[in-house]
Amino acid sequence: MNAVAAGNGIELFIPKLYDIVWSLIILLILAVFFYKFFMPKFQAIFDERSAKIEGNIQKAQKARDDADEAKKEYEDQLGKARVEASQIRDDARAEASRIVADARNRAETEANQITENAQRSLRSQQQQALVSLKGEVGTLATALAGKILGSQLQDNAVQSSMIDSIIADAGKGESDGQKA
Amino acid sequence: MDIITLAEVSGNLSILGYGIAALGPALGLGIAVGKTVESMARQPEISGQLRTTMFIGLALIEVLALLGFVALFIA
Amino acid sequence: MLEAIGSGTISLAMAKPSELPSVDDFLPPEILFQGTPFAMNRIILVRFVAMVVILLVLGITAARAKLIPSRWQGAIEWVIEFIRDSVVYDTLGEVRGKRYVPMITTIFLTILVFNLCGIIPGMNIAATATITMPLVFALWTFFQYMITGIREQGVWGYFKAELFPAGVPWPLYIILTPIQLLEMIVVKPASLTIRLFANMVAGHLLVAVSLAFAQFYVIEATNKLLALAGIGWFALGFALTAFEIFVAALQAYIFAILSTVYISMSYPEED
Repeated sequence: MNAVAAGNGIELFIPKLYDIVWSLIILLILAVFFYKFFMPKFQAIFDERSAKIEGNIQKAQKARDDADEAKKEYEDQLGKARVEASQIRDDARAEASRIVADARNRAETEANQITENAQRSLRSQQQQALVSLKGEVGTLATALAGKILGSQLQDNAVQSSMIDSIIADAGKGESDGQKA
Repeated sequence: MDIITLAEVSGNLSILGYGIAALGPALGLGIAVGKTVESMARQPEISGQLRTTMFIGLALIEVLALLGFVALFIA
Repeated sequence: MLEAIGSGTISLAMAKPSELPSVDDFLPPEILFQGTPFAMNRIILVRFVAMVVILLVLGITAARAKLIPSRWQGAIEWVIEFIRDSVVYDTLGEVRGKRYVPMITTIFLTILVFNLCGIIPGMNIAATATITMPLVFALWTFFQYMITGIREQGVWGYFKAELFPAGVPWPLYIILTPIQLLEMIVVKPASLTIRLFANMVAGHLLVAVSLAFAQFYVIEATNKLLALAGIGWFALGFALTAFEIFVAALQAYIFAILSTVYISMSYPEED
């Protein structure tokens, strides 16, 4: 290994002029490159990226806020709609029961009226029949009694009182028969 | 070669000198780095500061070994 | 008789490749513009090639840089952010460190690429493998920390803080001050320079010696049994080449962080 440390080793540590010149030139070129082009370029990229990320985060935040707001609004509307719907349903139900009750009332009234009318007409017919019957039966009975009694019935007063008593009897018998 | 000389050491003696010169700094570097690692494990939160201090120390210790290296070539 | 046996064994044991790497690898002859201040040798050519590679690769990357990074751009960005955050901001803090980020990035990336030239076939020598290139980087750091110290503390304040550290009894200044002066002016830049240079020289010599022995035992040696040893040497050379990649990155990192640390030492004590 003699050759490694052979005599001119000290020359390793003595810079040569041309070496210094070229080293400085190369370093200068590289330094200018790094200072003026490389670092600013990447710094710009880094800055832009962080700005963009920050912007994106803000945008996302805003979007989330908007979404929250919209959701809240929607939920409010939904709740309101639900309340309204149930109210409408209640109203409808009340209306329906009212209509039903009305109809029933009206029907009942009508039915009552009809029944009453029928009874009234029945009663008047009965009365009519009674009156006509009274007239006819009187005449008939007088004729009949005249024929039977002859002269006995010359006196009108006797005649009429007798007729009345007969009719009263007949009427009583007739009304009893009707009731039965 | 003389008949008396049974073994001969040839070559440059300064290589041996460099070996000896490397010994001390090697021990010093070992201790410094080891202690720094120990401290870092104990207090990781100041590891940056410890590393900086370690490098200052290492630079000073290493000068000795570097002087040995220069001496190897100059002698 | 004894002599014959001795010389025989020695000649077997000392059989050496005809061409061993030597320091002359780092002192290549001038091949262009000989004798002028602009003379060029092999290492300077390597340096130029490395510079052009940096300019092209990083320049194209930067020119095409997009907001959404490609894989390659992501890797470059990772390196930039590593230097910025782990090296500069960790040491100096963000406010002070901002100004030095381009400088440290330049130093780190340039030294890294220059170091890696040492293992690229055809170049086979690191562009930082003469004393000058590390020296230029170290001088840049030196001026940077001197200027920083003077700007932050004033000329008098900076030298007072450096040369007469507070809290030391005054007789110690007799010993301490020359040491501090030596450290500030010579030791810091010189150690930066020699650390990088020595690593590159040693790495190149190790790899080259391993491979030279491998070649010698496999091809040149007459005893074919030695080819096995040659394979061992080759494996060693392979491992050392891989190790050189690691060393290249490590030395770039150490140079960068030491530059940052030296700059941070020029700021006044915070307490």
